[in-house]
Amino acid sequence: MDKAISFNQVTHTYQANTPYAQNALDNISLEIPTNSFTAIIGHTGSGKSTLVQHINALLKPTQGSVTVYNRSITPTTTNKNLKELRRHVGMVFQFPEKQLFEETVIKDIMFGPKNYGMVDAEAEQAAIEAMKLVGLDKSLSEKSPFDLSGGQMRRVAIAGVLAMKPEVLILDEPTAGLDPRGHKEIMDLASYLHDHDHITIILVTHQMDDVVNYASEVVVMDKGKIVQTGTPAEVFADPKWVYRMQLNLPTSAEFAQQLIDAGVPIGQLPLTIDQLADRITELARKGENPDD
Amino acid sequence: MTNFLFGRYLPGNSWIHQMSPQSKLLLSFYFVIVIFFANNLVSYGVLALLIIVVILLSGVSITFFLKGIRPLIWLIIFTVGLQILFSSGGTILWQWGPFSITNLSLINGGFIFIRFLLIIMISTVLTLTTTPLAIADGVQTILKPLKRVHFPVDTLALMLSIALRFVPTLMDEMETILNAQRSRGVDFGSGSLTHRVKAAVPLLVPLFTGAINHAENLSTAMEARGFTDSEHRSKYRIYRWQLKDTLSWIVFLVAGGLVLYLRK
Repeated sequence: MDKAISFNQVTHTYQANTPYAQNALDNISLEIPTNSFTAIIGHTGSGKSTLVQHINALLKPTQGSVTVYNRSITPTTTNKNLKELRRHVGMVFQFPEKQLFEETVIKDIMFGPKNYGMVDAEAEQAAIEAMKLVGLDKSLSEKSPFDLSGGQMRRVAIAGVLAMKPEVLILDEPTAGLDPRGHKEIMDLASYLHDHDHITIILVTHQMDDVVNYASEVVVMDKGKIVQTGTPAEVFADPKWVYRMQLNLPTSAEFAQQLIDAGVPIGQLPLTIDQLADRITELARKGENPDD
Repeated sequence: MTNFLFGRYLPGNSWIHQMSPQSKLLLSFYFVIVIFFANNLVSYGVLALLIIVVILLSGVSITFFLKGIRPLIWLIIFTVGLQILFSSGGTILWQWGPFSITNLSLINGGFIFIRFLLIIMISTVLTLTTTPLAIADGVQTILKPLKRVHFPVDTLALMLSIALRFVPTLMDEMETILNAQRSRGVDFGSGSLTHRVKAAVPLLVPLFTGAINHAENLSTAMEARGFTDSEHRSKYRIYRWQLKDTLSWIVFLVAGGLVLYLRK
């Protein structure tokens, strides 16, 4: 598979050469394949947000280099010409509704596309499509974004990023503070963009259920280092290690773990709710016909 | 932005850190007044020496300190430039329309430069070694006599400490919004003036919205925790006048006397 993004021995120090200096990333090397759905997990302060901000050059490495679609970002990269790179990498920040500022919803969504050189008609078309994608009704387009509910504001902000038609979409805890339904809708949207539009998705999250339900690759971070990469099944294979990283197991795995502790022979740890259900029906069937 | 030092606090346990905030505040005011009495190289020299001793005593490294105040140099140069171009008197060295440079205006410009530098240095030392809350407390102590004339000293101190408390919060928020708009293709800090002013709108609107939200949440939180008025608040830390304060005042008063003696 192609590499969309690669980190080559990247170290990032906040406020280098001052008494406030702090190492946020420590000699990181990482490759994210094109069209993957990568989840980045790790406890608070492990460097996840710092890592993803390197991908669209909001932060530059203190040492090492980051390559995004053959463009490399090094400590000496100047601030010019970064716009072209940022166009390819859409970034949805934590609580993105904070970035809304325009008078109307449609204008706010058109803001990004216009900055990247689309003419008004094109930008409007992109905005209308993006609104449809995130599930915002057309009737809202002339409303002020500040009159909407929190969940709707979040969708407007996400639409504003999608309208730029990025090839890589970074979602930094996109569902924080949403109700369960809003949560599922946003995650399903990410999944749709990945499957249907072949966008490379990078998801920073604390929700282990989302990791197993949506992601194809997982990167685990701890103290500014990458401590594990692999598929969800590989990463969650050792529950003790997962807890040591101050992380949780997905709900289904946790449930299964409790069954195992109670003496039920579940076998390999199921990760999703479907796997868990299958395992249990299998066991139940065995219980009915012990001779099988 | 991250290198900007003015108005930030650096934790420490130096001589200056340990002084009481009210005396640090008053000493800074006093120092600024003395600066305006100095009018020749020797008297400025005394003050420069004093400020270097103060910086050394504060435990902040000098190179770090100088780097931190570097962003302010442009403001100073601008003011000094105006002073040089528009003041009159002395021998004219260069003239163009209303602008002229004379030998006196050059000397004055030089002194204003030093003055600015000294003022910025003393106030940076003050904020580097004193937490915002301690500064608010110091102001409250200093203004206490005004209570006699029913001036709302406590409310003012509370307002001040709340304002100072939210500076880092709003700075963080600004950083996030800057980044969010940058990734939406805004080019901050480049292009023509109109372009730059336009680029400020997507930054300022969310910033103000956020600030107003914070204010509302804070007032709700304060009421929920039983806040009624600022007059009967108790204090967790009480700052008392110490020997260090007395000694510092003696040094500063001697330096002030020296400046008055040495000035032309």
